[in-house]
Amino acid sequence: MTAVAQKRRRRHVPLILVAGAAIVVVMVLLGLIGPWIAPYDPTMFAVRSRMQPPSGLHWFGTDEFGRDVLSRILAGGYYSLAMGFGATAISLVIGVPLGLIAAFYRGWVDDVIMRIIDLMISLPPILVGLLILAVTSPGLGKTIVAVGLVYVPIMTRLTRSVALSVLAQDFIEAAAARREKTVYILWREVLPNVWPTIIVEASLRITFAILLGSALSFLGLGPQPPASEWGLMIAESRPFLDRAPWIGLAPGLCLCVLLVAVNFVGEGLRDLLDPRMQGRGHG
Amino acid sequence: MADALLDIQGLSLRYATANGSVTALDDVSLAIPRGGAMGLVGESGSGKSSMLLAMLGLLGKGAAVTADAARFDGQDLLKVAASLRGRRIGTVFQDPSAALNPALTIGVQVAEPLTLHRGMNWREAMERAEGLLAETGIHDPAAVLKAYPHQLSGGMKQRAVIAQALGCEPDLLLLDEPTTALDVTVEAQILDLLDALRARRGISLLLVSHNLGIVDRICDDLTVLYAGRVVEQGPCARVLAGPRHPYARGLMAAMPVISHAKQRLTSIEGNLPDLTVVDPGCNFAPRCPFAVPSCAEPQALAGEGDHRVRCHRAAQTATLPWPEQKNEAPASTEATPERRPLLEARGMSRRFAGHGGLWRSLDWRGGWPKLAPRKSVVAVDDVTIEVRSGEVLGLVGESGSGKSTLGRLLLRLVPADAGQLEFGGTEVPLRPSSAFCQQAQIIFQNPDSALNPHHTVQEVLKRPLELFGIAKGAAVGAEIDRLLDLVRLPRSYRTRYPHQMSGGEKQRIGIARALAGRPRFVVCDEAVSALDVSVQAAVLNLLSDLRAQFGLSYLFISHDIGVIAHISDRIAVMYRGAIVQQGEAAQVLRGPHHPYTASLLSAVPVVGSARSQADNRIRLAENPMAAPGEKGCSFASRCPQQLGNLCRTQVPAQRRLSNGVMMACHLPDAQLETVALGLS
Repeated sequence: MTAVAQKRRRRHVPLILVAGAAIVVVMVLLGLIGPWIAPYDPTMFAVRSRMQPPSGLHWFGTDEFGRDVLSRILAGGYYSLAMGFGATAISLVIGVPLGLIAAFYRGWVDDVIMRIIDLMISLPPILVGLLILAVTSPGLGKTIVAVGLVYVPIMTRLTRSVALSVLAQDFIEAAAARREKTVYILWREVLPNVWPTIIVEASLRITFAILLGSALSFLGLGPQPPASEWGLMIAESRPFLDRAPWIGLAPGLCLCVLLVAVNFVGEGLRDLLDPRMQGRGHG
Repeated sequence: MADALLDIQGLSLRYATANGSVTALDDVSLAIPRGGAMGLVGESGSGKSSMLLAMLGLLGKGAAVTADAARFDGQDLLKVAASLRGRRIGTVFQDPSAALNPALTIGVQVAEPLTLHRGMNWREAMERAEGLLAETGIHDPAAVLKAYPHQLSGGMKQRAVIAQALGCEPDLLLLDEPTTALDVTVEAQILDLLDALRARRGISLLLVSHNLGIVDRICDDLTVLYAGRVVEQGPCARVLAGPRHPYARGLMAAMPVISHAKQRLTSIEGNLPDLTVVDPGCNFAPRCPFAVPSCAEPQALAGEGDHRVRCHRAAQTATLPWPEQKNEAPASTEATPERRPLLEARGMSRRFAGHGGLWRSLDWRGGWPKLAPRKSVVAVDDVTIEVRSGEVLGLVGESGSGKSTLGRLLLRLVPADAGQLEFGGTEVPLRPSSAFCQQAQIIFQNPDSALNPHHTVQEVLKRPLELFGIAKGAAVGAEIDRLLDLVRLPRSYRTRYPHQMSGGEKQRIGIARALAGRPRFVVCDEAVSALDVSVQAAVLNLLSDLRAQFGLSYLFISHDIGVIAHISDRIAVMYRGAIVQQGEAAQVLRGPHHPYTASLLSAVPVVGSARSQADNRIRLAENPMAAPGEKGCSFASRCPQQLGNLCRTQVPAQRRLSNGVMMACHLPDAQLETVALGLS
């Protein structure tokens, strides 16, 4: 009994976290060194070997210009990963504090923040992205910022609603009875209880951000062809879906693996951060 | 019992869980005759609610119920439970707010089972529903029929739930803590109603409760459950007059009783056993002060006649006194002759604005829409109160009376609209200094909500120590050990998270946190209300000891006048934001009473005095909302002694009676003397 309890009380890292993190790390590494290990020049046309199915020479086949799909995926991974993680990070950095502040102060602060957020939500994301990018010149960094801003409202609302229920608890009043500073209450008392929900949401956002980023690219507002951003590759493969499905499937598969892995990391982190998931100790 | 309506023999229940099979009920037998009433008591986790769910066939997958026999009116209950529930077996659960759907009218909810089970059409069903509501003592059933749950008080809601259960004329009513969520005056009315229903309809009751007073008031027979086993069973009066199983004795002795105020309570040490391991012997032995090695032998429920006990030593131990528990700090504060006021509040008031924020509500009743002024609720109205050093001031009143708000006003956790606050002779500003916060702390009701689930005990206790500069660096560890020792928890608990502790243990951590800054004044806001009786006794004892040890002052807030009488030196009675009576505890309890105090005292169900008490009870009108613009005594609309116009139009001033008690009532002294008698 006690031996079992001892064993259970130790923090064990969830398996899905390890698996997910391993895949994500490998993909990020490939994204970083991709351009140098690509077997072919990702922008080199080869008209004679157009739309070749996957083979020993071209593992993921070639596209309509005869470019090697694998090389393009490796070269473009950097854009997609930067888009996913960067935009999500921006939405977290802006959205979470806003949500915490709105929930903590309530009253007019809450009203002002949330009405602005409502306004942002009421505009279609693509339109907001376009708006932000229309006033500046296209580029990866700006696309990341635009997509990040689009997802701020979601993070703010989620944070606020979870924080409201946490702030209603007695341990918050206990902190107030010690005259804790607002920053301490939000950072040490509220945030740990809000994180698990946010992390799961953020892991979903990463993939949405990649897709929205490629939509913007497709509209001519992100990385431009011939850059081989994954979303852009999927978008460009559309006309050839019946004749050469591998052109779109390969980057789609990569996106899919990344999505699943990131979600594993999200759920694993949630469990790791929740002391209740670490088993009950006795005696 | 041959003619029993319900006869269950040897019922066992096992749940399959991740940690193995849990035996929630083990060989439970009980029988209820037609028109009989059985009480089922035990601490939380003892299997009371599982028993009800098993009888209703509402246990989920993974629950295995076996029984030697389970007969309801000759049928096999385990097979036909699904067809009986709602028809012949009605159920009333603890919280009426949760039992009613907020989006449907009361009428629809009471009528629906009638259309389902009795084939009535909606018109007939609604008419019947009106009759049912009237039967449960609702004065204006036609109006209640159209009301939504949020428009009714808790007592009215519970009446509606009972009406709902009565609809199909059940033979048996299962009541799961039916009054626990209600105020004591309302509880008394619901108990009256249940009594009347039994007499009128010959309905049988199975009452699950942790409150022995209620069980004694309603039931003929009593079953005491401990960790899934029946430990004592018999006629209510005999079991309660002379409980023989050590657990039943412990439960009885743990209850604070008004007539024995100030005595040290008996607590049962330890926790429920691990139900994944079936103990062939007595499963109470590890906590039992009378345990001997032979308790490891299997025990049978035995005894002469119908009073049976599962304890082989019952005959020997029944005459032994409950062993004295070690009392680490002798209570000697009684000797302190003169106590100076530590905290004084004068004219404290607080209103809460209704919903609003930036937007005021538009009101289009009567002509053009106009901006409605924000409605506000008076929570605390011109309260003057003092807490002397080393004293416990008990604050009692029903829910919504403003007790908790007053407690927070005194800590400046909620800013006051008006009034002054002095602490230790100096004025406390609206934004108090850190020094004041260190001296004045709070203990909460709900141990689950009081601790951050992400912080270990160590983190919880370390913060106030560092914040208030009590200890730094290596000294913190020693100080945490000292605090854990104070609240009698093992030092190893410092690495635990809240979910790894029981409710009582969490409450002790809450107390340790409040004490970390070495305060002089602590607000205990319903600090023991969420705990089981035996745990409550232990925490009350702990609070008394700490007070004696450190000369602490408490403002002890509770709706339970038994607890208040037990711990308080002085008592203040609060009603709708105003203090209606305050004075020395003994004087307040002895009388003369404010009419509200009298009704509170008479409503408390007390073991032993049940039958006689029921007739003397003062019955209050159900909590009507005060008419708008009314300026008089807040209690006038419910007061049985109301003097008419005077009470309705003028707020009674506080005046000092000859025994030193402050009273806010228009009744002349001579008449106050005759306002119902308390319990001494």
